[in-house]
Amino acid sequence: MIEEQLTYRQYAWKQFKKNRPALVSFYVLILLVFVAVFSPFLANDQPLYIEYKGESFYPAFRTFSDESAQDQVIDAQTGDTINFIFKEVDWRRVELESVWWPLVTYSPNQIDKYNRDYTNPNGEQRLRSATGEIIEMPSRLRHVMGTDKLGRDVASGLIHGTRISLLVGLVSMSIAVIVGLILGASAGYFGDFEIKLTRLQFWFGWLGLFLGYFYGFYVRGENMSLAFREGALDGTLSVLFGFVIWGLVVFIFSKVGKYLSVGSFLRKIVYLPLDSYVNRMIEVLNSLPIIIVIISLSSLVSGGSLWLLMVIIGLTGWTGVARLIRAEMLRIKQMEYIQASKVLGFSNFRIIVKHAVPNGLAPVFVTFAFGVASAILTESGLSFLGIGVPADVVTWGSLLSLGRAEFEAWWLVIYPGLAIFITITVYNLIGEGLRDALDPKHKK
Amino acid sequence: MIIISLLAFVISLNSPTDPVEKLVLSAANESDLNSESSATEQLRQEVRAKLGLDLPVFIISLGSFADCDTLYRIPERSHQGMLSSLTSQYGNWDEISKYYHDLVAYSKKIDGYKPDSVVAKNYSKNDLNELLNSSSLTLKNILEVSNDEQIEYAFNNLGEKFNKHHLLFDEVAGELSKLKGSYANIKETSSEWKTYIPALYWNGFKNQYFLWLFGDSERGRGGLIRGDFGNSYSDNKPVGEKMWEMFPYSFFLVIVSIILAYLISIPLWIYYAYKKDSLFDRVSSVIVFMLYSLPSFFVATWLLYQFANPDNLWWFPSNGVKNPDTFNKDWAWYSLDKIRHQAPYFVLPIISFSYSSFAFTSRIMRVSMVDVLSSDYIRTARAKGLSEKKVVLKHALRNGLLPIITMFSNVFPAAIGGSVILETIFGIPGMGSAVYEAILGLDIPMIIAVFTLTGFLTVIGYLFADILYAIVDPRISYNKK
Repeated sequence: MIEEQLTYRQYAWKQFKKNRPALVSFYVLILLVFVAVFSPFLANDQPLYIEYKGESFYPAFRTFSDESAQDQVIDAQTGDTINFIFKEVDWRRVELESVWWPLVTYSPNQIDKYNRDYTNPNGEQRLRSATGEIIEMPSRLRHVMGTDKLGRDVASGLIHGTRISLLVGLVSMSIAVIVGLILGASAGYFGDFEIKLTRLQFWFGWLGLFLGYFYGFYVRGENMSLAFREGALDGTLSVLFGFVIWGLVVFIFSKVGKYLSVGSFLRKIVYLPLDSYVNRMIEVLNSLPIIIVIISLSSLVSGGSLWLLMVIIGLTGWTGVARLIRAEMLRIKQMEYIQASKVLGFSNFRIIVKHAVPNGLAPVFVTFAFGVASAILTESGLSFLGIGVPADVVTWGSLLSLGRAEFEAWWLVIYPGLAIFITITVYNLIGEGLRDALDPKHKK
Repeated sequence: MIIISLLAFVISLNSPTDPVEKLVLSAANESDLNSESSATEQLRQEVRAKLGLDLPVFIISLGSFADCDTLYRIPERSHQGMLSSLTSQYGNWDEISKYYHDLVAYSKKIDGYKPDSVVAKNYSKNDLNELLNSSSLTLKNILEVSNDEQIEYAFNNLGEKFNKHHLLFDEVAGELSKLKGSYANIKETSSEWKTYIPALYWNGFKNQYFLWLFGDSERGRGGLIRGDFGNSYSDNKPVGEKMWEMFPYSFFLVIVSIILAYLISIPLWIYYAYKKDSLFDRVSSVIVFMLYSLPSFFVATWLLYQFANPDNLWWFPSNGVKNPDTFNKDWAWYSLDKIRHQAPYFVLPIISFSYSSFAFTSRIMRVSMVDVLSSDYIRTARAKGLSEKKVVLKHALRNGLLPIITMFSNVFPAAIGGSVILETIFGIPGMGSAVYEAILGLDIPMIIAVFTLTGFLTVIGYLFADILYAIVDPRISYNKK
């Protein structure tokens, strides 16, 4: 038998493909991403294409780039010019020569006043026609998954909720992985007795920690609250900038401390117990009921904000990644190639980033997949409670919570529940598949 | 524990509402609503003293050189915010303080201003009141904003009003320009460089944190170490008492659900090991997987829909726990009737609670089982010719249990976190729903109490896990050799 020569990556992909459920999940995930990206064109109350009085328009695309887009058309019979704003026209009630509707013909927050009070997806649905009389809903325009109390379409909410769920999972876990990688890798690589500092440098480092906080956050406090008033994204960026300043100040101070170390007392070598610090942080975070922490933190900002929620979930969820990569680092540190690169005189930074971390990354992918699943679960749980997510944003969790108020409306429970279930299963199965594929122990 | 208490404390400091206002409101609700403002003012002072808000926050405080280190003595929180914001903009505390005192004095003056009676006759009573009220409101607004444009706008607004009715306001109009002058003075003598110089202030041991932690008999506070969590902001009852009422519900549910989950999943796991790679294995792994992916709040809602629905199966009450005492007072706590009366309220919650714990445990078990059964010593045990029963029960079980024991320490925080959602759904008056309400109402002492309690429970969980480790794995020993 001829052994194929495969790189690790090819081998992993081959193993992954052998795992049928994981592969199917992967395709489902691609579908979900597709839905999330193109949600404005999959569920919209504006048609994709219409022919109105002999002219062609693309309302969904026009309103996507410009909320208040308007246009005009000349009526051939009377010769009048009809001006219209796309958003304000209910195209269902206009007689059009030709129309291409999106998959779901409603926007998530659009209120259909003829089908309010929990319209059953299988029951009677009404429409006010062009002539003004109430008629039975044409099948193309039906609310396929029913409506809520106000008459908002559930299917449209689901499609737009996909984007939020995927975004929350991805962004928050990216933050968690970045924080976890930095802290875990440095803790594992340096351990407690690797970073040597002079005594003065150690003290200056602590001084820098306080001063960095001062310059990064205290002095910029005004700016930051202003930025938060502008929008949550601006505020988050401003906070991140604060962290950058903090890090810079600490760095400068430790350099200055090294330079100033004179005399045997100040030059005495002490060790920075980085590993212990990181471990204590992990322990504290793990002993807190994370969901309560997240809820109380996100309730501090009135009205709620998705970006803030993502950051909070990310900043509380890095412990798993950090522990994994730390353990990997402890193993990899002893490897010969690391010692070789040390002998070659590479900087620690280069060894960690180019040699050590890439070899310990495989399990991180697995945690990433599982972490995304749990982040989505957290977010939907929070929006189910109505905390942390702005009230006008429709998410799967908020749809589900609407169903709690009215037992009749099973479609408000089943469909969002299924959506959450499918997404989480998909991520978990992919995580499972990745673990099997990336771990040579599970070779079949 | 210390870190948790500090963390909770920091969160409580950053809450956007003013606790004094909330407490005063809830106290005022109990007495009469139309109390005199001087009485409210006095109440406010008392509450502030009890909460220790007239003390500095911590032993030391980090600030800038320009800051005032006694800002906490100013009673109104919004004024504090305005002042600290102004200081960070202009950095000259002396001028700002002068401006603030002028402003407060002026605001009081306008509040009690009685215009000259001859001139006042030209105005109708409504107009007069309207004018006076609006100017005093504008001043109160100036006391809370720190944005340059807003302040200028308000000053101009007031100035125009005074010009228009100059006869009415001629006694006070002069001071307005003085006030404007002192504001302009702030901007002129701005020493922004001062805000970039850090400074450390020593506040001594009489501070909010120590008061919160150790209490003070003069202020009627027991402190955290004596079990006094303070009073709830929402109804002014001691949090400790409230916690004692709620704790049994949550604790009961969490413990029962964890025990149930373990009771189901451990035998299942053993059976599972026997039947590895059979149809049962594949089917059950899929089921376990699906269970893990179903959010517990969805399961709970669905259960309610199925079994507590008047139109469907109405087997259980849909929410809340009834106090049995209102039904029949003579029942002892252990009597069967009482249990029978209480049981229906707990069936669905217990199912949902143990469902989520079960999904969690069985998943970890499956992973650990796959690992253990593919390890070398199991192969050796089989090669020795041991019976399958012995292999599984004696060799695999103990090692397979290790991850579950590790999990034990995380079960408490996870279960309490999960109970926030589940208790809210089922309307159980436990800690989870209390924390939910506390967070919505920003009832900080309540949140802190729950934090501290879960931290404590987690530590106990760790202890438990360590003891179990020693039992399961003889290699682990806590004795020094």
